[in-house]
Amino acid sequence: MTNPNRMVGMLSRREILALAGSAALASMTGLPAFAQEAAKKGGILKVAAPANPSSLDPATGGAGSDHSILWTMYDTLVEWDYTTLKPKPGLAKWSYPDPKTMVLDITKGIKFHDGTDLDAEAVKFNLERNRQDPRSNVKADLTSVASVEVTGPLQVTLKLKNPDTALPAILSDRAGMMVSPTNIKALGNDTNRKPVGAGPWKFVSWADNASIVVTRNETYWRPGRPYLDGIEFSIIPELATALRSVIAGENEMAFSLPARLKPVIDRAKNLQVITAPTLYCIQLYFNYARAPLNNVKVRQAINFALDRQAFVKATMSGLGEPATMTLPSSHWAYDKSVSTLYPHDPAKAKKLLAEAGFKDGIELTIGSYNDQDSVRRSEVLQAQLGAAGIRLKFTRGTIAEISAQFFATEKKFDVLLSAWTGRPDPSMTYALGFDKGAYYNAGREADPELVKLIQQSRESEDLAERAKVFAKIQRFIMENGLSAPIAFQYELDALSKKAQGYKPNLLGKPKFENMHLG
Amino acid sequence: MSLSRKRSIIVRRLLQAIPVIVLSTFIVFGLLKLVPGDVAVTLAGDNASDARIAEIQHIYGLDRPFLVQYGSWLWKAVHGDLSSSLVSSESVLSSIERCLPHTMLIVVLAMLLALVIGIPLGIAAASKPGSWTDGFVMTVASLGVAIPNFWLGMLMVAFFSLDLNWLPATGATPISEDFWDAIRHAILPACALASGGIAEVARQLRSSLVEILSSQQVRTLHAKGLPPSSILWRHGLKNVSVNLLTVISLLFNRMLAATVVVEAVFAIPGMGNLIVNGAIHRDFPVVQGVVFAMVLIVVTLNLLTDVLYSILDPRIS
Repeated sequence: MTNPNRMVGMLSRREILALAGSAALASMTGLPAFAQEAAKKGGILKVAAPANPSSLDPATGGAGSDHSILWTMYDTLVEWDYTTLKPKPGLAKWSYPDPKTMVLDITKGIKFHDGTDLDAEAVKFNLERNRQDPRSNVKADLTSVASVEVTGPLQVTLKLKNPDTALPAILSDRAGMMVSPTNIKALGNDTNRKPVGAGPWKFVSWADNASIVVTRNETYWRPGRPYLDGIEFSIIPELATALRSVIAGENEMAFSLPARLKPVIDRAKNLQVITAPTLYCIQLYFNYARAPLNNVKVRQAINFALDRQAFVKATMSGLGEPATMTLPSSHWAYDKSVSTLYPHDPAKAKKLLAEAGFKDGIELTIGSYNDQDSVRRSEVLQAQLGAAGIRLKFTRGTIAEISAQFFATEKKFDVLLSAWTGRPDPSMTYALGFDKGAYYNAGREADPELVKLIQQSRESEDLAERAKVFAKIQRFIMENGLSAPIAFQYELDALSKKAQGYKPNLLGKPKFENMHLG
Repeated sequence: MSLSRKRSIIVRRLLQAIPVIVLSTFIVFGLLKLVPGDVAVTLAGDNASDARIAEIQHIYGLDRPFLVQYGSWLWKAVHGDLSSSLVSSESVLSSIERCLPHTMLIVVLAMLLALVIGIPLGIAAASKPGSWTDGFVMTVASLGVAIPNFWLGMLMVAFFSLDLNWLPATGATPISEDFWDAIRHAILPACALASGGIAEVARQLRSSLVEILSSQQVRTLHAKGLPPSSILWRHGLKNVSVNLLTVISLLFNRMLAATVVVEAVFAIPGMGNLIVNGAIHRDFPVVQGVVFAMVLIVVTLNLLTDVLYSILDPRIS
């Protein structure tokens, strides 16, 4: 895999079929067909969206599935490169005059949909709201910010408590989505149902669990954009149904489909199938604050017992990448040397268990979800770990139920089979999942060395420098077996032939800015 | 029965509905609180922390005692305010206003189908018990009961929508917006929902009709020289009408419940969809609102059934 970031692209049905499950997928370079044809303006794109947004106010919402819809209405201060997630300027350019100061220079002449100027005052208003409003869910993202000052009509300066170079990536997420201050002042938190941003499309309507409609922002700041006159989202949580709506021609696109639907897409005529790597990592979370998983050898044994390659084949029809750490191989902070730590080795796993005092194997309680895909994963997992003498005792339930039992105060189960959806900056992933007291660290305990490394990862502005720190973090996590990443799930989308220009991104949350109707 | 007596019965039944509504919403509320999972975790989002979850519980009043939370919901509901979704903040009343027509349309359509197809089948089977027709109808009816409606729904979509392109595969149109398009969208889900209903109507009608037709009263009618058709239509069907009414009202309630699955298969933004989403996120105002509306519908329906009983059979009071 010498050129790991080139898996993105549109492959024809036959090509993907021939390659499914094979490592050769990596060598298929993205066919940049979409970049060459002239994009036509106009038309309404109909999209089947998998979930009702938790909110259309970026500050108060919480679901990872919201972004695809939020980005249609809100532009972000910072954006990222689709294939590597390296941050790049969005509404603003950033710079660090010194490690504890970040300056944002806002592009001139941008207006919100209601005509309000997107200037330094508006950015300050948003950042202050995001970091102080009691209902804001992004407060934790901005804890390093000490103050926000307007230092010019189009310039905002952030004074930081400590160096924080994760901020550009953080400002490409919810915290950087700019909402019209006029709208917030007029509607307060009701802006949730009547959002006003500065994105390529304007909000028209939202009926819960049914539909969301957006229409072209005629005064969008990027010349010639957007191509589409509007987007109509139908909210269809049942993904097989969502796919049927595309096959029947009722929608042009369905995204985030599970791999088991791949054969259905292939059988249908006139559909394009798109697959691409994402940060979505199926993994085992451990509660390592108590026995038996407080023993590093048991955690390592689990990691050795996993046959990740087989897991990808069996549960994802090959549409995935074996995960040897929480970052996929195309990510800018991926470290190859960590990836070889845990080859599939049941004998080694047994030996480690014996050393840990479990000569006759060990029984672990594990929580898992009750949807079709999760059940299949749990069965494969049970067989793989069983071969190394690790017997899993599953409890299945809904996501809300099981994850709360594991992460919140109850602390049920030793292990949780779940996923991590990924974040724009790797430091967010580590801070949320492994830091002391973090919610997604079920045991809430963390080694001081790891805590220090996570802090350090936000100190340098240079990506190569940061990548080195992330490599250390990643090595620490994997050597200590603090989790067992299993596989990155590929994005799978079905599009009608009419829907053109779609480019997948590594975050796995579709952006529609490049799309047009052929 | 005098009119005033009838009226007093209706009023009494309506009053009886009140404890039913209170009790059922209380039980549902209790269940939502008892099962693990908390709407505060959904609200706290991806960056949840223990402190943030506690903070949200406080903001939304989720840290108050159980009875206080239920009481404040009930107090508002009594005053006509079903609160708003904790997650999306849409008013529950407007969610229900939007979703209920979609659900009612497919249920009513399914009910009509069940009756229009099920009654003739039942009569055909009962008029010659043990015949080839009887055997055929009962076999089909058994199949109808046995086949899961969501599976039938998927098969119908594959055939009528994806292959033949006759009917839409997903979605719904408000009936107030475009009547015929609304019907077009509702046909397949209604058929899927009706399959069990057709079977049940046919079976129940057959068995009660067979029983009546073999009774002494009917033997007397035969002896009197009445033609068989007149016996079937005038005496037989009139006597089974009460049974049929029971079947219909039970069926209606069951169909309402079955919409949860059928709506998911056809992506219909109806009540089933609403309550499933609400339950997943422990968004209790939404769940409570849907339960409230459903109980109201079922209670009204039962009341209507009782009134019709007394009209069809004066012995029932």
